[in-house]
Amino acid sequence: MVRLENISKSFKNIKAVDNISFEIPESKITIIAGSDGSGKSTILKMIVGLIKKDSGKIYLREKNIVENYRKITSIAAYMPERFSLYKDLTVEENMNFFADIYQVPKKKKEELKNRLLIKTGMNNFKNRRAGNLSGGMKQKLALSTILLSIPEFIILDEPTTGVDPLSRIEFFNIIKELKEDGKTIIISTPYLDEAENGDYIVFVRNGRIIKKDSMNRLKNNFPAKLFRILPKGNIFEIINNLKKHEDLKDNFYIQGKYLKYIQIEEKNYTHLIPYYSIEEEKPKLEDIYIYYERMEEQELKRA
Amino acid sequence: MNNIIEVKNLTKKFGNFIAVNNINFNIKKGEILGFLGPNGAGKTTSIKMINGLLKITSGEILVNGMDANKNRKELKKIMGYMSQKFSLYPLLNSLENIEFFGGVSGLSRKTIKKKEEEIKNMVDPLLLRQNVKDIPPGIRQKISLFVCLMTDPEIIFLDEPTSGVDPEVRRNFWYEIYDLKIRGKTILVSTHNLDEVEYADRILILHHGDLIVEGEPGGLLKKHKKNSIEDLFKDAISNHEQN
Repeated sequence: MVRLENISKSFKNIKAVDNISFEIPESKITIIAGSDGSGKSTILKMIVGLIKKDSGKIYLREKNIVENYRKITSIAAYMPERFSLYKDLTVEENMNFFADIYQVPKKKKEELKNRLLIKTGMNNFKNRRAGNLSGGMKQKLALSTILLSIPEFIILDEPTTGVDPLSRIEFFNIIKELKEDGKTIIISTPYLDEAENGDYIVFVRNGRIIKKDSMNRLKNNFPAKLFRILPKGNIFEIINNLKKHEDLKDNFYIQGKYLKYIQIEEKNYTHLIPYYSIEEEKPKLEDIYIYYERMEEQELKRA
Repeated sequence: MNNIIEVKNLTKKFGNFIAVNNINFNIKKGEILGFLGPNGAGKTTSIKMINGLLKITSGEILVNGMDANKNRKELKKIMGYMSQKFSLYPLLNSLENIEFFGGVSGLSRKTIKKKEEEIKNMVDPLLLRQNVKDIPPGIRQKISLFVCLMTDPEIIFLDEPTSGVDPEVRRNFWYEIYDLKIRGKTILVSTHNLDEVEYADRILILHHGDLIVEGEPGGLLKKHKKNSIEDLFKDAISNHEQN
């Protein structure tokens, strides 16, 4: 397990990470979800020791990582948002290069390299130059290269930002297989649809954790009613009309062609909307994030 | 509605590589057109040809009836372009960005000053004086869009405007896009967030430079008997891949 205790980090006068604590269970997928600038990358960089924290402690299997820095670098692999591949080298040459960097023994190298390329679906592109790969394939190659170190912990910073939807799904299928192999995976992402692949979720916003829990508990213990409404008329005009209900307007939001309503207050206000159909629904992570974001906003206003 | 943009047999080659392969489509005035496709499908190349940033290999693009290849200067005046990642200079503050982009767009000092006053009524002035890299993503996006709209363009290109932002910011951004539509603007938006595409009046899906799907989202779902744009997208891509 990795445990973060009261971690803070500021850059000049900006608090990037503000007193956060959470635990990363082993052999599971932990997802740190939040917007650009919410502090996700800073958290990951502190875990792998790329930047120094201002305060707090991080433990890896109950050992302080600052004092045992070599331990974490020997069992963890980190893939930054923009991983540097050698674009003039082929897929295979990149793999060879990184295998040498990680000092993979010569005897094992061929077997390991081929196994990883098959696993990530890159085997058919061995001879293609990295510079000529699509965005999704580049990320798969980057992942393959870091797996050459045979890590127990795999830490991926926004591996799918700017990657197309199909490549994102493929990427997460590989991640799920790695979990089946017993790896511990930590991923940051702004996309809540792909965060659905996580076992444990940490929502970060403005450097603070607004909610953290296992996926099951987040979904089963959702504290409000949620409705999915297929509205009659233009969805944006309906939202505009709701603006006059100052306290309520934020509880209605669009999601695709549907209007969602989180009933936080006691009374139900769905009658304000002209609709074709309405049904109560189980929350997706996106709804759960929105709920806790609202709660955080209300708390900040009260403070 | 009249076509504000007509794209005819548009092709772009880089050496032997065909990035855009003989595509045809129109954009109507006041329409929101969603542009989809995997990385490398030809979306950005097409957008860059329409707004005159890239020369076309063959075919024709008419904007307001004008040949886009021959009237680049004229076209620049009526087009605005914004992308989420690269729109603003991160080490300048918002007001400096407005001044810079206002200057290169040829706005007068007086107009730029007016624009600066305008933004001060929309965003906390303290935030406006922070470097862009340090301000919250929602505000950064607001400023990017404001900068893109400073010249009051008729046609607005939004290249993955919602990549890397949380659902709340994305939603608020779409409310603004819809406001622009009400004001009669024509909007072309490329995105990887397929749930958003439902807000477009029409969508295009590109794959390997070919235009493989075109139509109104609801109608396309009905026609192909799909529940979501994501299913439609997956199917269209795999069918095209097999052919």
